[in-house]
Amino acid sequence: METAKKTQEERGAGFRRYKTKNLVIELLPIIVLALLFAIYMTVITIRGYKMELQLTRLFNQAIVLVTVATGATFIYALGSFDISLGASVLFACTMGVLTYNATSSVALLLLVIVACGVGCSLLSASLATFFKIPPFVTTVAMMSVLSAIATTLININNTSGGTASITLPLNLLDPISSVWIKALIAGAFILLCVFVFNFTKVGRRIKFLGGNPTCAKLSGIPASVYTIIAFGIAGLGVGIGALLTLAYTPSVSSGTAGSIGMNIFVAIVFGGMPISGGAKSKIYASLIGGFSYMLLNQILLWLIGTSMNGVAQIISAALFLLIVFLTSLNYRTRLLPR
Amino acid sequence: MKKLKNATLLLSALGCMTLASCGGGKGGTTAAPKIGVLVADVSGEEAQAFRTYMTEYVAKQYGATIEYTTALENAADEKSAIEDFAGRGFDAIISMSSSDRAAQLATCVQNKIYYTVGSGMLDDKVYETYKGNEYFLGQIGPSMQTEYEAGLAMGQYYKAKGVDHVGMYGAFIPNPMHVFRAAGVIVGLGDTYGEASEMGAIVGQIYADNGIQQAKIGGDVTVDYMAGFDPTTTYSTLGSIIGSGIDAFLSVGMATTFFSQNLNDAKIPYGDIDAFTSSNGTNMSSGSLNYLAGKYASSLGPVYALIANAKNGHSIRDAQGNAPSISQSYAVATSSEEFTALAAKESGDTRIFSKEVLDSMIGDSVTYDAFVEAVQKERI
Repeated sequence: METAKKTQEERGAGFRRYKTKNLVIELLPIIVLALLFAIYMTVITIRGYKMELQLTRLFNQAIVLVTVATGATFIYALGSFDISLGASVLFACTMGVLTYNATSSVALLLLVIVACGVGCSLLSASLATFFKIPPFVTTVAMMSVLSAIATTLININNTSGGTASITLPLNLLDPISSVWIKALIAGAFILLCVFVFNFTKVGRRIKFLGGNPTCAKLSGIPASVYTIIAFGIAGLGVGIGALLTLAYTPSVSSGTAGSIGMNIFVAIVFGGMPISGGAKSKIYASLIGGFSYMLLNQILLWLIGTSMNGVAQIISAALFLLIVFLTSLNYRTRLLPR
Repeated sequence: MKKLKNATLLLSALGCMTLASCGGGKGGTTAAPKIGVLVADVSGEEAQAFRTYMTEYVAKQYGATIEYTTALENAADEKSAIEDFAGRGFDAIISMSSSDRAAQLATCVQNKIYYTVGSGMLDDKVYETYKGNEYFLGQIGPSMQTEYEAGLAMGQYYKAKGVDHVGMYGAFIPNPMHVFRAAGVIVGLGDTYGEASEMGAIVGQIYADNGIQQAKIGGDVTVDYMAGFDPTTTYSTLGSIIGSGIDAFLSVGMATTFFSQNLNDAKIPYGDIDAFTSSNGTNMSSGSLNYLAGKYASSLGPVYALIANAKNGHSIRDAQGNAPSISQSYAVATSSEEFTALAAKESGDTRIFSKEVLDSMIGDSVTYDAFVEAVQKERI
């Protein structure tokens, strides 16, 4: 009797330890974000930097990444990958600028940007569905095609004496260039994504497909339909991201949004999302990861300096691996996710 | 679990307290200026030579803070870098990156930080818009016309040598600097591009073609063309060109960085528009480099003088109150002796735009005319 009671107590203690460990791991991305923010603010304070300007800059750096990455979370939740998102932003920006310069219509500019973002993503998904190949394969092809088209259009319509670029009138998008308006636009999109991802059948089924595609198929969930929906939402994020990009700087060159494709991947994983997608996918991962990644890069640049940028990149990569390792602890050993 | 929650709350509180205690700090100022340099190229020898001059010579001679960015890829990177410098209390920006110079200038004006152009030139329209603005201090460097003429002179040099089959490296076209140089090389060789032989028409076609199409180069001198850099394919392309029996290899930039060993080994005479660096000296003395047009590193010195004057409350302005726009030409060496003579003036603490020269360009008594004269004075 006493032995049974002791065993039960031990089991209870073990369960509590297990729950605590999981909670720590669950909260780790938020803790890292808070820690990085505290360090960031400390550096600003000690060195006497202009806080408002630096915070605005941080927001502007992160908001495009966070917006596009939040949409892309639907693709990642499927266990898929889209490397063409940066090129899609570039393409959407290019078409938007060319449209405005041809028509002088802001409404058309907005329409074309969003249509291009959604269209590019849907094309990737449709090709994948039609040819029955993994979506990330089509996105590799799309990345090259979209970059080439955008670069050619920019070169043909180049208006710059410097690096080839096309540009909107400098103050055209001023009405949406303030931090609050940008936050409102991005926030509305992120809230929509949170709602769809966490509270609708679409979100649940996408996670189910990512977690166990065979089981999902046997349950009658059509993978092709939800792949197209996931890419469509990601495309909307691309369109909004392109708009925010142009609101920050009105010119587009072949290097525009060049680093976004890979940064999205880093941000999502940094935010605690499993690479394999599935049930443990978190819609807020890109929000946390995007800001954490930008904070980390900025802190390293300030502390180490640009002349030692290689060292900063190595430290950034090492921290990235460490965080991915720690956050993956609570889903690596589980049986349910594949 | 409770402890964990407390720890999280503590961290958040720490962040908030830090935030609250800041209240918008302001960067400290010193007598010497704090300068941020925007760069797109961080690896080329030319870029490194400039960087060494600014950070190892000017910064030490004047006690100035001169900080370079990482490689900037686009206009958003440039704007963000300017905001970072402004947010850290820097006084001025030197722009050697050109994704969107109009946006760079607007950002500098908005953040009340001085702006200068150290490489290339502003579009005429942008210059006209900002030439009277107090935060625009001026531009000093090769104009696109100068870039074209540098290519032209190199083409003419090899044409005069009697070449009838050359290799040509277009580097990173559509980088405008390389586009204009390449147009000059084609014309200098006596060839045409798309049947055009005038700078504007050729440049327009190169942009429209998104590069140079070898088939469109016509004329007496046969040109085997290559561009870009991909370690997996570029060297085999170069090998094919060398194997085709070319008389010379003309590059509009960075051949000495990528191909000097191949060209020296094959004993192919080659020319480049690059920089007066020690490795190029070796390529001239021991290799087959026999034409080098380059900016010498200290040619960036006058830009520093513009900033130092502005920092001291004496911006250099012409009679109409406009910021200076001064074109600098390239130095050319066609022999090891010429190279050595020039390099001797540009090594370590010996500089063409030395502290002594720069001192003569800094001060309340320096007029616009005196400044322009000092920049354009023949020093080589």
